[in-house]
Amino acid sequence: MDALPVSKVAAERSGPGLVKLQLRGVTKNFESKAQPVQALQAIDLQINEGECVVLFGPSGCGKSTLLNLIAGFETLTAGEIRLDGQPVRNEPGSDRLMLFQEHALFPWLNVLDNVMYGLRWQRPYRFRLRARRRKAMDLLRMVHLEEFARSAVHELSGGMKQRVALARALAPDPQLLLIDEPFPALDALVRAKLYIELQEILVRTRKTILAVTHDPREAACLGDRVIVFTGRPGRIKAELKVDLPRPRDINQREVAEHASRINSQLESEHETEPGATT
Amino acid sequence: MKRNPERRLKYYVLGFYLLLLAGWQLFFGLNLIPDYLFPSPALVGERLWDLGADGLLWPSIEATLTRMAIGFGISAGIGLVVGLFMGMNRIINGCLGSLFLGLQTLPTAAWVPISLLLFGLSDRGVYFVIIMSSVAAIAIATSHGILHIPPMYLRAGRTLGTPRYAMPLRVILPAAFPSIVTGIKLGWTLGWHGAVSAELIKSSVGLGYLLQMGRELNDASQVLGIMLLTILFGLLLDRFLFGLVERRIRIRWGLEQNN
Repeated sequence: MDALPVSKVAAERSGPGLVKLQLRGVTKNFESKAQPVQALQAIDLQINEGECVVLFGPSGCGKSTLLNLIAGFETLTAGEIRLDGQPVRNEPGSDRLMLFQEHALFPWLNVLDNVMYGLRWQRPYRFRLRARRRKAMDLLRMVHLEEFARSAVHELSGGMKQRVALARALAPDPQLLLIDEPFPALDALVRAKLYIELQEILVRTRKTILAVTHDPREAACLGDRVIVFTGRPGRIKAELKVDLPRPRDINQREVAEHASRINSQLESEHETEPGATT
Repeated sequence: MKRNPERRLKYYVLGFYLLLLAGWQLFFGLNLIPDYLFPSPALVGERLWDLGADGLLWPSIEATLTRMAIGFGISAGIGLVVGLFMGMNRIINGCLGSLFLGLQTLPTAAWVPISLLLFGLSDRGVYFVIIMSSVAAIAIATSHGILHIPPMYLRAGRTLGTPRYAMPLRVILPAAFPSIVTGIKLGWTLGWHGAVSAELIKSSVGLGYLLQMGRELNDASQVLGIMLLTILFGLLLDRFLFGLVERRIRIRWGLEQNN
């Protein structure tokens, strides 16, 4: 697994912190009784600092598995994942924090305590409740929910919950933010607003992001680069750049054009269901 | 519109109990059974009033509730810890889970003879019966709750940087809290059964003792009155104390809608 020539890695690191995430030959097999299933086949991918990359593909193509591998929820069969040049620990952690489809906020904590939660495990905040609270309040202000700091999670609307989840994910200042299907359970209006808000926050915080989606419009709206995935076994089929100014509106014509360009990459494949997502 | 049928149901329930009481009185009026065997509601109320006036009632209620508080407190502590280990280890769960399921089929009163042998007539025997009646239910509910935590809470906890050693207290137990409360509620009911059963035989104070005393005095109105009182206190704590806590938690955890 560590058989890479050291000089090559060093060369990539010598750029001024440009490469944030580096995947090389990432392969994942799932053992099953009949035969091992290959979920991912030798994925090579590089994400630069401050970039927002979207993995786009049909469901079951292995893109979520890739996200789980990077987050540390699954173990690699072969290959290597490096974050800031260092191989990642085989254990989840807040350096590559995952934002889930379901908001996954803790119902036993109020909104503020949820946002503060991840800071507890960070050395500079370990025994400093007041510093944790201050940082969490700053983040709540950023997502415009400061007046809901003491509310219980179940009192919030779906969109508000997602914004709290975003604030909670940003609190420990992750090197890499992994987003698994952003905001799937929300209605279209709320989603459109959240996309814009998310982009504003991205521009402001300069976070490096890897997101996963099966919606081509979402991919075109959020991604600087869109990686098109195909399944069985999961591999990269194409890569497209999206050069549109931010924040982009998901209903913008240019976004729709890029979306159909992205989608056509999949439809050139013979086995996709026609008209699944356009 | 949604509130209305709910309220109407409450009236029906109230009416049902009034009807029940009236039926009781009516049956008594038919004089089919002699009144020392089948007293009227008024006679039962009178007997309870006399017991209260004699200073027998309140100390007995207090004694039973105190025994429950101590015995059930110990039981809940043991049940939670054992349930936590069961929920986090498949082998422990397999072994203890089957044992506890077996023990749960035993009626709570069946613990009384062995507690007499072990502890004689002392109060410790009552605690023993309370604990043995309720601990299995609490442990099983706790482990079940832990095994059925939505995985997203565990994943969120891990990705937010929770160290492994901190997961039980910070994520696992809180996430399992709704089923733990349900288990505690069930455990309380079983412990209450156990407490009154134990008091029937081995105590000189308590609701169970008053029941037994009523039988020895051939006083059906005392027996029925204490039975009603036992139901009332059991219900009060089960439905109103634990029931309300349980509901609030289920709403907060998003398992139930507030309507």
